[in-house]
Amino acid sequence: MPAQKSTDTYEVLSPWAEADPVLLKGLAPRLDNLDGKKIGLLCNNKRAAPLILDAAEKLLKKKFPTAKFSRFFARSFSVSSLEKDREAEFNTWLKEVDAVIASVGD
Amino acid sequence: MYDAIYIEGKGKPTATFVFEHFANDAMSAASSKGMPVIRIVPEAIVSESTVVKDINTAVKAVFNDVVGVLTKPLTANEKSPKSREPENPPRIIFKGTLAEVNRFFYQRGWTDGLPIIPPTEAAVKEMMTGTDFPADHLVEKLEPRLGKATIEKIAVNAIMAGCLPTCMPLLIAGVHMLASNPVCGMMAASTGSFAPFWLINGPIAKDINIRSTYGATSPGDIANASFGRAMGLITKNIRGIRKQVEDMGVLGNPGKYTWVAAENEENSPWEPLHVERGFKKEDSTVSLMFPQSFQQMMPFGTDDKGILATIVGSVVPARQGFFAVLLTPNNAKSIADGGWSKKAVKEYIIKNAIVPDDYYSRLGMKTDKPFDRGDVTGPGIGPKLFRPSKRDPDPVQVFVFGGFGSWMGLLQGGPSPMTKKVELPKNWAQLVKKYKNIVPNYARY
Repeated sequence: MPAQKSTDTYEVLSPWAEADPVLLKGLAPRLDNLDGKKIGLLCNNKRAAPLILDAAEKLLKKKFPTAKFSRFFARSFSVSSLEKDREAEFNTWLKEVDAVIASVGD
Repeated sequence: MYDAIYIEGKGKPTATFVFEHFANDAMSAASSKGMPVIRIVPEAIVSESTVVKDINTAVKAVFNDVVGVLTKPLTANEKSPKSREPENPPRIIFKGTLAEVNRFFYQRGWTDGLPIIPPTEAAVKEMMTGTDFPADHLVEKLEPRLGKATIEKIAVNAIMAGCLPTCMPLLIAGVHMLASNPVCGMMAASTGSFAPFWLINGPIAKDINIRSTYGATSPGDIANASFGRAMGLITKNIRGIRKQVEDMGVLGNPGKYTWVAAENEENSPWEPLHVERGFKKEDSTVSLMFPQSFQQMMPFGTDDKGILATIVGSVVPARQGFFAVLLTPNNAKSIADGGWSKKAVKEYIIKNAIVPDDYYSRLGMKTDKPFDRGDVTGPGIGPKLFRPSKRDPDPVQVFVFGGFGSWMGLLQGGPSPMTKKVELPKNWAQLVKKYKNIVPNYARY
């Protein structure tokens, strides 16, 4: 191989991968308020997650005394990605709540 | 964030608490899943904190934000986000001197901080002689960015890392493995700084000079050095997992530069890993795991009893996830000479690796609240450090590599190993002949 001089130039290819445009999705409609609503508390398996939800539930109960709460405990970091065997159980739980507060422990 | 996106998609408003340092990571995840307008609640709770007082204070500080995320009316863009073209740079991206190319790539965030080999058209063409697939063949789309890992893109990153074309079959298998399990992306991005450890079995190891003996995982061998490095660049440039943007590893891990070894099959008394996992001995395979830590110990004694006691005595109570014992050939032989199969070694470790009953209470820790994430051990879990489960029925692995010596090692953390067969191109024999003799020749002094 011939020796390269420091002034030799290289025309180089990009290492950054192409990606297709992702179909964008909007957010779900918001609630008017939380009074009387059933709030789902989604907790993943990181240990800060339930502690964060404990604190949030306490404050919510104080401010919205008619709100109800229901918890779902993931066994992993993400129930929708990693716990396909629980999809039906998770969807049933989702149907029963009006909104979700999630804590992922990070 | 994936759960929040899923739930929003089901029509339920969602508020997710996210540590404020992780907001970029959360939004990259949301964008990759098509919901860049997701609402999060940044807060000041350090990842994995268990200090209730701090958590209560931090949640109180953002309580109004939680309510707002769930009740504040949506903007037009939140209802129907404007589409955004992903960044797709031109194929030929730059022209310059070696120093200029390196500076350009570094400043774009495309390197691991070390200098790279310029991926020129000619170099890419040579690299792609290592596969039968055409340049535009799509091997996988890699999450979270869903970047297209085409043969050409893999080759570009391989050149940057210093690979020889004979590395291509391993890289293609490696890319398939990254796509095969969503946990791989989580490991690369995790606060736990899990580093991919690639263990190679079968004839390819000798074909391309992957070191299995002295210093197997130390610098100095082109295949060990460049394969892992290329997979790191692929993680960055194709997956889109970049440090402190998506990769939120707290301490970091030097294994992320490269961490590759071949099993020392010819000097092991036991069946190699790939045979243990159902492959033929003549198959070439790559196994992937994501340990956080690597610990080396001098055994209490170099007979079977001394080595096994050292393993059991060195398992830390706060460990979690994958666990492997690294034995040199002579350590493995000592154990095997005592009548131990690999399976028996595993069973011995599972049975005997325990913490004393009063371990946690003596340290002032309450044991009424179990801390158990999968195979995590800790207060309230019981004395056993390993518990075979549905999730991980084989929680202890035994690998044999390295030179002849008494030091031994442990790898810990991450999911169970995955193993994939490496498919070789038709011209493999010619390729091996062309590149196999590229080895260091150290002069005596």
